[in-house]
Amino acid sequence: MPPVLEVDNVSMTFGQGELAVQALKPTTFNVEGGELAALLGPSGSGKSTLLLAISLILEPTTGRIALNGREVYNNGPTGIDVRAYRRQNIGFIFQQHNLIPFLTARENVALVMQINGTGRRDAPRRATELLGYLEIAHRAESLPANLSGGEQQRVAIGRALANEPRLVLADEPTAALDTERGIKVMAMLRKIARERQSAVIAVTHDHRMIEGFDTVYRLDDGRLARMLLNNREPASIAS
Amino acid sequence: MSAPSYRSAAATPGVAKASPLVIYGAQRDIGGQSQQFTIIGYDVFGGLGGPEHIVRGRAIEAPHFELVADNKLGLTLGDKALFGTHYYTVVGITHGAVDSGGNPIVYLSLPDAQEVQFQQDNRALVAARSANIKRLERAGYSSEQVSRLLPLLSSPGDTVNAVLIKLAPGADANAVAGNIRDWLYFNVYTTGEERTLMLEGRLSKMSAVLGLFRVLLIIVSIVIIALIIYVLTIEKIKSIATLKLIGAPNWVIVRLIMEQSLALTFASFAAAYGLRELIVPGFPRTLVFLPQETAITFLVMLGGGVLASLMAIWHALRTPPQLALGG
Repeated sequence: MPPVLEVDNVSMTFGQGELAVQALKPTTFNVEGGELAALLGPSGSGKSTLLLAISLILEPTTGRIALNGREVYNNGPTGIDVRAYRRQNIGFIFQQHNLIPFLTARENVALVMQINGTGRRDAPRRATELLGYLEIAHRAESLPANLSGGEQQRVAIGRALANEPRLVLADEPTAALDTERGIKVMAMLRKIARERQSAVIAVTHDHRMIEGFDTVYRLDDGRLARMLLNNREPASIAS
Repeated sequence: MSAPSYRSAAATPGVAKASPLVIYGAQRDIGGQSQQFTIIGYDVFGGLGGPEHIVRGRAIEAPHFELVADNKLGLTLGDKALFGTHYYTVVGITHGAVDSGGNPIVYLSLPDAQEVQFQQDNRALVAARSANIKRLERAGYSSEQVSRLLPLLSSPGDTVNAVLIKLAPGADANAVAGNIRDWLYFNVYTTGEERTLMLEGRLSKMSAVLGLFRVLLIIVSIVIIALIIYVLTIEKIKSIATLKLIGAPNWVIVRLIMEQSLALTFASFAAAYGLRELIVPGFPRTLVFLPQETAITFLVMLGGGVLASLMAIWHALRTPPQLALGG
């Protein structure tokens, strides 16, 4: 089985000539199915840039990216539909949850399913099942404003899982939560990784949660500089 | 024209019936408020030009002091209205009897209408009479001659505005009109010509003015809707960025904004339509809204709604997905 995500010598440079800034130095790492990986580093170190590059929101300057063994970028576009690639393969979790405020919890999850082609009848049913899996089905009809921070984050996780992605990218998923709720969210991410064999990469500043990750990568000035091992050996790392 | 001239018209070949008609605009206190209306005086004994759509009561049957009024004036059967020095009893109510300006019509008998139009108050009558006496005396007439001539110089109350003509079966309208024009020196209009005169004259100008207002209101509405949609889109920019980031195609975002814009357009049109239905029956003038005009207005509004969303769509499509990241 190939790793879920292969990042090979991916770099990102903004600007040209003397004004060029290399936000991400050539970076190589893999994440396997079931692995929960953290990207740690100070502000401006290139964490978000790496996430944007992996999801092809920003085109890397160099390098190769493969998902499930399929090359999606190789020193240039490979001709794939970038939005469909994100929609079908990647689930996103945000710091501020980013739920659509005028849709209920169920509708927030169902909308993403519908965008990916699930029928109008099936999507709400499947969204309810997913919310049940995340133990938040009882709030399915609530608007985001009526949910607590932890509940909102669980709905946001539900939305990220709506299309059963192999890769989940989380941007500071516990930053807006207190320790207790943060631990619950981490437990949920671990459950997702283990039970669904998804690869989860979380950008975090939250040192309280480091213990919960399988692998921790540290980024400094765009360089994947250090690796802290937690419970097991990582797939590979080089920079 | 003088009232008796209708007899000359009646004698023209091809004319089955001719009736004198008086028509003029008036403003009087009715039901405690000053109201504008048009008075039509007609020959109540079988003449042409009387009320056609009496919804309550009857037509005028007495030569004096009865009237038929349109329901827009707010009168009811048995009410009395004071015109000049006499009270007129309402014996019939019409619906939709309005002049070309949309003002309600009051029907009176011909002599009553002439009296209301030309009646002078007592001081004016005395002043006119003494002026006429002095004029005749200066001209050298004796007192006896002055008494005989004075009625001839009194108010011109026996005039009419028009003569209505009903053609005999098989008569050629243009030929009859030509005869009257050539022999009686009157302007003659057939029903078709009169309708054209009205539609292309006053009504088309009023329609153009109302159309201009309508166009201006639609433009203002579209600008307001565009601004609202734009502000609503700016408010939701993080949600839009999130949708783009998770891979929603552009058409999903365009559809969301367009739906919002069209919903707002539908709501504003429905509100305006409802308000119109609520206000128009109580409006002093009769306003006619043709279904096709309403449909065109709706379609223009719909197009405007789509147009109004373009600025917001443009902004939404330029929103970078990475805006969804961070706090």
